[in-house]
Amino acid sequence: MRIDYKLKDKFDLGLLIPVAILFCIGLLAIYSSTLNNPHASGNFHKQLIWGIGSFIIFFVVYSVPTNTFKTVAVPTYLISLLFLMVVLVIGKRISGQKSWLGLEGLGFQPSELAKLGTVLIMSAFLSRKTTDIDTFKDIFIALAIGFIPVILIMLEPDLGTSFVFFGLILAILFWKGISLFGLFVVLSPALLAVASLFGTLYFIGGLIFVIISLILFKKDIFFSGSILALNLAAGFFTNYVYRALSLHQQTRIRSFINPSADPLGAGYNAIQAKVAIGSGGLLGKGFLAGSQTQLQFIPEQWTDFIYCVIGEEFGFIGTIITLGLFLYLFIRLLRLATSAKDEFLSLTLIGILSIYFIHFIINVGMVIGIMPVIGLPLPFVSYGGSSLLLNMIMLGIAANVYRTRKNYT
Amino acid sequence: MSTDRFASIQRKTIIYFIVIGCFALFGFRLFQMQIIEHESYSEKAANNAIKGIELTPLRGVFYDRNMNVVVSNVPAYTLRITPAEYDTSLNKYLEAVLGEEPGYINKILYGNRLFSKYVPIRIKRGIDFKVVSWLEENEEHLPGVDYIVEMQRGYPAGIRGSHMFGYTKEISPALLEKHKEYYKPGDYIGYSGIEKAYEKFLRGKKGYEYVLVDSRRREIGRFKNGAEDVPSVKGDDLVLTIDSDVQRAAEEALKGFRGAAVAIEPKTGEILALASAPDFDLNEFSYVTSKDYLQKLYNDPDKPFFNRATMAANPPGSTFKPMEAICALNTGTITTATTFTCRGGQDFYGRYFKCDAVHGTLNVIHGIEHSCNVFFYNLIYKIGMTKWDEYAKKFGFGQITHIDIGDESKGFIPTPEYYQKLYGPDWPKSIMASLGIGQGEVNVTPIQLAQYVSLIANDGVTYTPHLVRGYLTTDTKKLVPFSYKKIDLGIDSSVFNIVKEGMFLVVNGSGTAVSIKSKDIQIAGKTGTAQNPHGKNHALFIGFAPFDNPKIAVAVFVENVGFGATYAAPIAKKMIEAYLLKDKIKKENNSKVSDVKDKLIGESLAN
Repeated sequence: MRIDYKLKDKFDLGLLIPVAILFCIGLLAIYSSTLNNPHASGNFHKQLIWGIGSFIIFFVVYSVPTNTFKTVAVPTYLISLLFLMVVLVIGKRISGQKSWLGLEGLGFQPSELAKLGTVLIMSAFLSRKTTDIDTFKDIFIALAIGFIPVILIMLEPDLGTSFVFFGLILAILFWKGISLFGLFVVLSPALLAVASLFGTLYFIGGLIFVIISLILFKKDIFFSGSILALNLAAGFFTNYVYRALSLHQQTRIRSFINPSADPLGAGYNAIQAKVAIGSGGLLGKGFLAGSQTQLQFIPEQWTDFIYCVIGEEFGFIGTIITLGLFLYLFIRLLRLATSAKDEFLSLTLIGILSIYFIHFIINVGMVIGIMPVIGLPLPFVSYGGSSLLLNMIMLGIAANVYRTRKNYT
Repeated sequence: MSTDRFASIQRKTIIYFIVIGCFALFGFRLFQMQIIEHESYSEKAANNAIKGIELTPLRGVFYDRNMNVVVSNVPAYTLRITPAEYDTSLNKYLEAVLGEEPGYINKILYGNRLFSKYVPIRIKRGIDFKVVSWLEENEEHLPGVDYIVEMQRGYPAGIRGSHMFGYTKEISPALLEKHKEYYKPGDYIGYSGIEKAYEKFLRGKKGYEYVLVDSRRREIGRFKNGAEDVPSVKGDDLVLTIDSDVQRAAEEALKGFRGAAVAIEPKTGEILALASAPDFDLNEFSYVTSKDYLQKLYNDPDKPFFNRATMAANPPGSTFKPMEAICALNTGTITTATTFTCRGGQDFYGRYFKCDAVHGTLNVIHGIEHSCNVFFYNLIYKIGMTKWDEYAKKFGFGQITHIDIGDESKGFIPTPEYYQKLYGPDWPKSIMASLGIGQGEVNVTPIQLAQYVSLIANDGVTYTPHLVRGYLTTDTKKLVPFSYKKIDLGIDSSVFNIVKEGMFLVVNGSGTAVSIKSKDIQIAGKTGTAQNPHGKNHALFIGFAPFDNPKIAVAVFVENVGFGATYAAPIAKKMIEAYLLKDKIKKENNSKVSDVKDKLIGESLAN
């Protein structure tokens, strides 16, 4: 077999360049939003150092033998579960959540590692020769693998990251080829869960939908009955979980369902974020010149609300360029996942794509007011070391897959 | 085991469309927010971040007619606390230093708890300079405590002018509703006297300063470096017609009495002094009036808030006699050759009316000189009720004078119709005899008397009495005079000369006020004693000086003391001397130095 040693074939600049630009945009926005904040003045430098470190790690991951990823799948998963349990006991509480571990002065979120671990182990499990996606046993095992960390994360409680897990589990199952009925069985409880949050009427509506679908799928009565029971359980369980949620998360969910109910409380950030973006206009107010940003109308803007800084200071041009870079990255990952001939790697890439994508839509959707305020960082852009590091490791995996893609042909 | 659904084109397309769909939705949403609805968001952002702070303009100051500052602006210190930086454990120290009761600070902080913790709250206005130096010394131990300098009214000329100057006060909700276009809650507004009447000149123009505030309303800088700021414009300075020396003389002379004194320059209608006693200390009103002081004033049976100079209507007594003489002379009812004989009293319509003495036969001049009641009993029957009425009103009685500070009483001049209503068509004509000597139902105010004596002094010509000559323009400091209505009775000066001769003799002949005869100034006047059913008589005096060329006309009214000659006339004399012998008095009292100092301080603050 002939191996082409051209850089183009070995290294996908199409993956790294958009990410590098996004990172730089993020640095500018972090600089701008922390300029007037004495409590966050070091964040720009910290992010820069984390950035350099992450790029180095990226190249390390890029260079390791591709089969390493399958090898580390189980240990990564187990270690991340261990961390998740440890964090529940000794974790630092930040804004009502126990999700941080202090590691030599650097904050580290075990749930970041858990995302990667879950992607790897699910992909490994589903790509086994013996796994049959058409059996409920294997679907159940895959779901169990995926949901163990979710339960631990929900106990922190971290709603946003739980959503990311739902997304990645669904994406991997979908990519693996779950049947329409299988998908229905997996999805309908989630649907009912969400419906139950909106109220009894929605819940009953969802239930009717599930029953009609079950009739249409024409499965036997006993089987359909147990699925219906599962759905009902999901609905009631959600209601139970909702009540178990911390108060600030409850109000966030409520304020999304009815944002005008509490404009100065939980709805405040959402309103100020929209004002920041809308007032940016076409060209923006200019770097370091956004009043919403510089006067700190949005708390901790360098993390979850960083897209507002871009929107306010660089305008529509800035937000569209950012969108474009993400779109390019996602399409690139999707193509790579399609072209990867190894099932494990292909599933892993889809998992990585879904992690990025869920972060992206929840984060951007939140600041432009079409998603509830759920704390998730914008990949590569938001301030945050462990998030950036894990995102770069996952990008390294993608680049690695690209490097060795011809080995499998 | 792999199905053919794994990574199928179909599934890839679905993911592809989900991704593209989300991006399209986001792109559209961003376009909507940043391009279509940009304006409304911009406005919201601007409202968020820019706060306009009103700059209170300096109030115009008052000069007297000699350009001495009589009402000025003086700096006063206000203690403030910024709750976010303040530690309430300091309360006890601050309360001790301020001389307030424990709990004072917490009460104010609690009242302001709904405002941003970063906006300083006024704790006490007008704090002592000693407190300020204590704050300076202990600054580092007092986080969140500071003071600012605010302006309050000062009265550097040593005159009180309580009723005339008036005071400013925080605007009431009712007034605010009426004048929303200018005032905001917490603004000060002229509440009485000149402060109220000339509010529009004095208040100036508000300025605005635009500052950037953060999400906690904390000021963090200036908007566009102050390019959009509008400076406040100081109010117009008023030039009063008051002569501080005359005013001071009147206030001092009235001390201990209830009464009023008004002095007018006859040729112009300019009020030289306007005093009412008892009065009150305007300094107590200059920022926050203490409740105790207000309560004391309200509960005082002598009613210090009542401006007796314009509001107290009482019978004029014999001070009305010159008016009747003018009426009789001008209508040709009598001449100087007409005489009446006083035998110590006379019967009219079945009632006996007394005189103070047996004056014998006298004409109008000596009738005034001796204030002979019998002469004027006869006179009023001769001129008749209608003419008496007409002339009383001609001289401004029974109606307001339109003095510029307002708050006047009309007084009362009875008419034949009034008595008909009261007693029927055959009303007892004996009543007229009382009216002839200014007793009974007739009521006049001191300001009306002052206008009346001005008309006599200046032969029937004067101007509406007023306290403000004009205002100084802010830029050029030139006087812009106000115009006042001319009053011309159209009565020949020969008539006035006869009456004035009588009034001259009152002081300089063998009349009722020879006690105030002065070797330096020729004073003419008329005493009056108004009968009062509720106690001692009221003492009155009207007069003018110098006799040849009257420069000052005075009316004095003192409640419940006795004879006009004894109590009212000496007060008038002091005021006349204060005005006409100014330089002589100044030389005598060596107080000039301190006056100059006051004037300088006043001027420097005025500018």
